Amino acid sequence: MRKVAIVGCGLTKWGVRAATYKELAQEVSHSLFADIRDLDRGEVDSLIVGSALVDRLAFQAYPAPVVAEQMGLTPTRMCMRTEMACVSGQAAIRAAYTSIASGLSDIAIVVGIEKMNLPNLAETQASMACVLDREWDGVNGLNAPPYFALVAQRHMHEYGTTREQMGLVKVKNAEYGATNPTAHFPKAVSLEKVLASPMIAPPLRLLDCSGITDGAAAVVMTHGDLARRFTDTPVFIEGLGQATDGSLVVNLKSLTTWYPLRAAARDALKMAGVGVGDMDLAEVHDCFTISEIIEYEDLGLCPKGQGGKFIEDGQSRIGGTLPVNLRGGLLACGHPLGATGVAQAIEVVQQFKAQVPKERHVGGEWGLCHNLSGSANNHAVMVLHRGG
Amino acid sequence: MGAPEEHYAFDFYPLESAQHTRIAPFFDHLREGRLTTTKCRACGVVLWQPRVVCAHCHGQEMEWVDLPSEGTVFAHTAVLAGAPIGFEEDVPFVVAIVQLAGTDLRVVARIDGAQYEDLKIGDPVSLKVVFLQDGRVWFRFVPKR
Repeated sequence: MRKVAIVGCGLTKWGVRAATYKELAQEVSHSLFADIRDLDRGEVDSLIVGSALVDRLAFQAYPAPVVAEQMGLTPTRMCMRTEMACVSGQAAIRAAYTSIASGLSDIAIVVGIEKMNLPNLAETQASMACVLDREWDGVNGLNAPPYFALVAQRHMHEYGTTREQMGLVKVKNAEYGATNPTAHFPKAVSLEKVLASPMIAPPLRLLDCSGITDGAAAVVMTHGDLARRFTDTPVFIEGLGQATDGSLVVNLKSLTTWYPLRAAARDALKMAGVGVGDMDLAEVHDCFTISEIIEYEDLGLCPKGQGGKFIEDGQSRIGGTLPVNLRGGLLACGHPLGATGVAQAIEVVQQFKAQVPKERHVGGEWGLCHNLSGSANNHAVMVLHRGG
Repeated sequence: MGAPEEHYAFDFYPLESAQHTRIAPFFDHLREGRLTTTKCRACGVVLWQPRVVCAHCHGQEMEWVDLPSEGTVFAHTAVLAGAPIGFEEDVPFVVAIVQLAGTDLRVVARIDGAQYEDLKIGDPVSLKVVFLQDGRVWFRFVPKR
C-alpha cells in the first residue's frame, strides 16, 4: 500500500448562493487550481465527486461527468460519485485514498458539492427526510431536526445534559467560525441569543441546527512519492475507519451512544498507530449542538454522559483538552452535505500549513476528522498527519 | 374502488396494495385496527418493519403477528418549522418513538391530540388508524385517556 497525501485545497464561499450546482463546481476548480499551481489538469487521472442529494436538489443524476466537464477534467483511471448522505465527502476521500494506495490512481481530485437552497425549501426538507427510511420514519414527518431533537431529549433524560451546555457548543463554534470568511454564518453569538432563537423541534432551536447551505470543497490527493512535487507540507492520511448500522431509527442499538462512531474512531486511530490523546485538533460533525456533545463522549475525550460538562469546562476550546471545530464546524460554516467532509479535511491541512487566521491557529501534527450521516447510523473517521 | 395508488405521484406514504408490495396484509390489518408485523417461522425473530425475508436467518417463511396497540413515549418532539413537502399544513405536529407495551419493539409515529408540552417520556399512548385522502391507510398514536 502506498502512502496517500492531500496536497492542494479549494473552497467556495458557503451560504445561500446565487449559483447553481455546476457553477459551484466551476468556482471550486478556480480555488483549487490557484492553490496547486504545479498541477496540470491533464495529469489528473481520477475524479471522485461527493454529492448526496444532487438527483433531487439539482435534478441532475450522474454528476461525476458533469463535474468533470465543469472543471475541465478527463479522468482516465477512476471517475465516480460517492453518496452516503452527509458522509458523501469523507466517502469520496476514502474512495480516492483506496484507489491511490492500491496503485490504481496517481493523482485524484476529490470534490464535495451540494446545492441545497431551492425556491421551495419544503422540497429540500422532503429530500432530507428521505435520508431516513422514507416509508417507516420519514413518512411520519421525521427529518434531521426532529430526529436529533429526540436524541437531545434522551441525552438530557439519561445524563442530565442541559440546554445551556448544548448552547455553549454553538457559542464556541460561532466564535471560531467568525474568523472563517467562507463560512455561511461567520459571526459570534451569545448563549442568550442561542437560547432565545426560534424553536424548531423542541428542545432544539434554530441556532442548535446547522444551516441549509450551498457550497463546494475540493482537494488534490496523490501518493507519497509525488506529494512533495506539489507542496513542502503534504498532509498524509494515516488512518481511516467507518462503521454503519441499519437505517430504521428504532432498530439502532442506542440513540445516545453512537457505537459506529466508537468503532470508526478505534479503527482509524489503530491504523495510524496513535491515540485520541495524540491529536492536536479535531473537526467533528456538529450537525446539531447535541451531536458534538455525544462525539466528545464517544471519541473518548471524556466519560460517557460528561460531554455537557466537557464543553462547559472549555475543554474543546483552544488551550483545552482538544480544540474542536476551529473552522466553525457545521454550525457556523453550514452543511452542504457532500462538501462538509472535504472541508473538514481542508481545515486540518490549512491548520498544519498555518494558512488559517491566527485567532484560530493551533497547528500541530495530528488531526482527526469525523463525519456522520443519517440518523448517526453511519460514521467515518480519518486521522491526518503533517508531513514535512 | 380502484387501487388507491392509481393516480400516485411521489409522496411519503408506502404503496400498499398487493399489486405493488408483498406486505399488503400489513395495510389490510391496519384497516381492521390491528398493528402487525412479521415473525420468521424458521428462527422465530419478530422484527419491525414487516418483511418478506428474515434479516437474521434469511429464511422467507414469514407469518403475521399482532403487535400491542398500546405503548409508552420513549422520546418525543414536535415539528414546528421546516416540515417536508406534503406535511407543511400539519405543522405543528408531535412525532415520537413509541415503545410497544410488553415488547422490545419501538416504532416511529406521530402523536395526535397533544402538543409537545402535554407529553413526557413514559406517558401511555394508544394506536390510531388514519385514512389518507386517496384511501390509503397509516397509523399514529394518541395519548391514552
